[in-house]
Amino acid sequence: MTERDANLCSHCLLPVGLRAMQRTVNGEDCSFCCYGCCIAFQVKHGQNEEWDAAWLLIRLGVGAFLTMNIMLISLLLYAGTFSADPWLIPWVHLLLWIFATPALVILGEPYLRETWAQATQGRVTSSALVVLGVGAAYAYSVFATIEQSDQVYFDTATMVLMLFTIGSYIEAAGRAKAARDLEPLLAAESESATVVEGGTETTRPVRDIAAGVLVRVRPGERVPIDGVVIEGESHTDEAVITGESRQIAKRAGSPVIAGSISLDGALLIKSSGAGSATRWAKICRSVREALSHRSAIQRVADNVVGVSVPFVVLLGVLTVAYWSQSMAFDRAMLIGLAVLVVACPCAVGLAAPLATSLGIGRLAHCGCLVRDPHTLEVLAGTRVLAFDKTGTLTSGTPRVVGIESEGVPTDELLARCAGLERHSEHALARAITLAASTRGLEPVVTHDVRALPGRGITGKADGQPIAAGNNVLMRELGWQLAPSLSEPARSLEASGHTVIYLGWEGRVRALLALDDTPLAEARWVIEELKRLGPHVALLSGDLAPAAQRAATAVGIEDLQAGLSPEAKRAALDRFRQEYGVVAMVGDGLNDAPVLADADVGIAVGSATDLARETSSLVLPPGGLWMLPWIITVARKVRSTILTNLAWAFGYNLIALALAVAGVLQPVLAAAIMASSSLLLVVNSLRLSRLPNPIPGAILEPPPSAEPDSVRLGVAVMAGPAIERG
Amino acid sequence: MTYYLVIFAAGFAGSFHCIGMCGGFACALGRDTSGAAATVGRHLLYNAGRLTTYCFLGAVVGALGAILCTSRGLAVPVLNGPLDGAQRILAIAAGLLMIAMALQFFGLLQRFQGVTIGFGGSTLALSLRNLLTSENRAAPVAFGVFNGFLPCPLVYAFAVQAASTAGAVPGFLVMLSFGLGTFPAMLMMGGVGRMLTPVWRQRGVWLAGSFILLLGLITLGRGVLPFGAHLHAFPHGSPG
Repeated sequence: MTERDANLCSHCLLPVGLRAMQRTVNGEDCSFCCYGCCIAFQVKHGQNEEWDAAWLLIRLGVGAFLTMNIMLISLLLYAGTFSADPWLIPWVHLLLWIFATPALVILGEPYLRETWAQATQGRVTSSALVVLGVGAAYAYSVFATIEQSDQVYFDTATMVLMLFTIGSYIEAAGRAKAARDLEPLLAAESESATVVEGGTETTRPVRDIAAGVLVRVRPGERVPIDGVVIEGESHTDEAVITGESRQIAKRAGSPVIAGSISLDGALLIKSSGAGSATRWAKICRSVREALSHRSAIQRVADNVVGVSVPFVVLLGVLTVAYWSQSMAFDRAMLIGLAVLVVACPCAVGLAAPLATSLGIGRLAHCGCLVRDPHTLEVLAGTRVLAFDKTGTLTSGTPRVVGIESEGVPTDELLARCAGLERHSEHALARAITLAASTRGLEPVVTHDVRALPGRGITGKADGQPIAAGNNVLMRELGWQLAPSLSEPARSLEASGHTVIYLGWEGRVRALLALDDTPLAEARWVIEELKRLGPHVALLSGDLAPAAQRAATAVGIEDLQAGLSPEAKRAALDRFRQEYGVVAMVGDGLNDAPVLADADVGIAVGSATDLARETSSLVLPPGGLWMLPWIITVARKVRSTILTNLAWAFGYNLIALALAVAGVLQPVLAAAIMASSSLLLVVNSLRLSRLPNPIPGAILEPPPSAEPDSVRLGVAVMAGPAIERG
Repeated sequence: MTYYLVIFAAGFAGSFHCIGMCGGFACALGRDTSGAAATVGRHLLYNAGRLTTYCFLGAVVGALGAILCTSRGLAVPVLNGPLDGAQRILAIAAGLLMIAMALQFFGLLQRFQGVTIGFGGSTLALSLRNLLTSENRAAPVAFGVFNGFLPCPLVYAFAVQAASTAGAVPGFLVMLSFGLGTFPAMLMMGGVGRMLTPVWRQRGVWLAGSFILLLGLITLGRGVLPFGAHLHAFPHGSPG
């Protein structure tokens, strides 16, 4: 748990920030972002024998006891109960003093400690306002008691502290609720596994587990490692990792993934890799990183809070100075106290991180990874959604559907082409190697292989140069197309196929026609996105006819085909100038620079690792259909942040104005502050009630595929797909 | 004074209900190893904590009632008498609520019970669990304070009554009378509970229900009946 707590609060999973508190709970080091989280965590997790947790509650209880009694006695004082016996009043004041002193020590200590810790580092935080205000009210009351004057304000001093404590506790409880979706994702690093060795079971941290270790998973537990079931049967829920919401049956021999939950049976699993190398662990690191970033809005809010405290102190002093001219000093001091209390900018600091972490958690719950909180804010304002075609809108699994050659036997040219293409992880390359292997062909050994992004691949077989790629590559090489092939090439390209030119010994010898089919849900996704407002465009590296075919099938009007990665980036720049914020949806190797260049790069599931590194949002495999939902969530997150900020600032300013005007009682001011934070929490928690995405579109049948050519009937496995041109 | 005596009696009768609910906690608080005096001290502290919470609740809801009644929007000018429109509305609402709660004690309106009990008790229960086992001398006070906030229809019924008085001090006094009423049984905690057979305990609960029903009807009457017909034995808005 220590690792995870290096920068996130143990309770609410928000970054601990500057106000970090360190405590040891149940023998583990925990850090908390605020006093409220510290209390709430200990109440929730502190064990009976844990002295600290009980001690904290005792202090709160005794503090509440004293405060409430002070309040009740003061109530009787105000109601004039003792007016018949005025000699009693100084004694009652003394009693209040006796009650208030321990209450102040008990309840005020955390605030005083924080103020001191920050002051030694040259910072003034909102807790300083509480300490200052409450301290002044207490000091005055002590003075008044000794002087035997009429009014003491012990009730105000203790009640303000009590309300602040309760407020921060309730706020922390709400924040923990907000972190509920994130918990399973962040658990990867702190999780332990039950390892079976030589008949005995031991518990070990997941990060220490290597490949080949046997791990026992009980019903209801989370599978800690990737592996294969050795014995047992169960259903698993993999939603957090893959976004798959169905339960999946597992029996001996089935692969299981770390992070999934074994629902109803015990499993014995043999790990297939290191515990720290699972997708779950990677997701965990990525989410933690995302949470520890601050978004632009939050930075502004934090800066405002940072500079506001000295101003508030000044305002409090000025308020006291002003009012003491027209009324008794103690009344003026109370007004000053109300100003200090109500101006406490606690809520402002909470406005953005809570909503963002809820949003990130909500998306993560469905397998969508957000790299940076900023992503959600930008995505909410996206004006253009540019799509890559292959593997994003189409299945990304092209098949070889036709071969034209100038007399070379099909088997020979497939073997040569496969010898070259097996060095590439391109989807088209895979289609070819698979076509060759289904025919039982041995790929020709090829050396000096070079991939040329956007054009193709070259190499040497039997000492002769060989190349496969688009016609641009052939032109660059200066290889001529045989007249008998130029007509089929034209007609294949015109009908929207991807054509791979295969040549060796200085000539183009054959054409391989490949085709890809649009995803079943693509049309629905595009319609939904258009309904949401952004301009939708298709930026394809494919030839215009193939791109046109896909665009028509999914319903995109704005189409730009035959683009190199550089041209795609230029197209994004044009969009940015014309419309504003641009998001790019893609998945390929060639897309990596384009995804990185867009304001939001969205990688769809089967993306290669490089594309994931450069994209700020990663969808699970087959997760395209979630895109409209994700945009809705991002918009909700942004509007929640904005309403939170408007509320926090507006509320504070109005309350501050009332306090300066002397209308607001300090106790009421404290209650208002506590309720202000609570309202933010409640407002943000509405995000957790957003409906789950509904896979509504997938009911539509896929548009019928390629009508022509010699079909080889080669089915290709799903795999990474890359635009090539 | 009679008014507060009635509430005290209702609290006493209601404490048989407490034995079923909170008595378990009181028992769990158990004996102090350092002798009988320490045990009594422990339970006095616990009950003092509980009583403080009740009184505080009473004062707060009383003050809320007062705020409701003095706010300009609600006040309807009435021709005669000290009861203005808002106070009448408050009395009617409080009376109806109390009657609804009283019916629960007779096993009616069970759906309503879910609303009154299932409200935010889990965190409190967690804190109570932590405190029960603590050896600390001050733990019973804290325990009592939190116990007082536990959702309980009996406490709610009297809190509603306290609110209907529309004043912080009378609200405080209502809850004080009620809390003192529950004192004897809770102090004797398991003792009485074990002596009383379930049948008698059930009768105690019915008695408590009857008291609440009576108070509810009177409160309702304060809101509904014309001024002249008021029961003068139960003044509102002033202590004693």
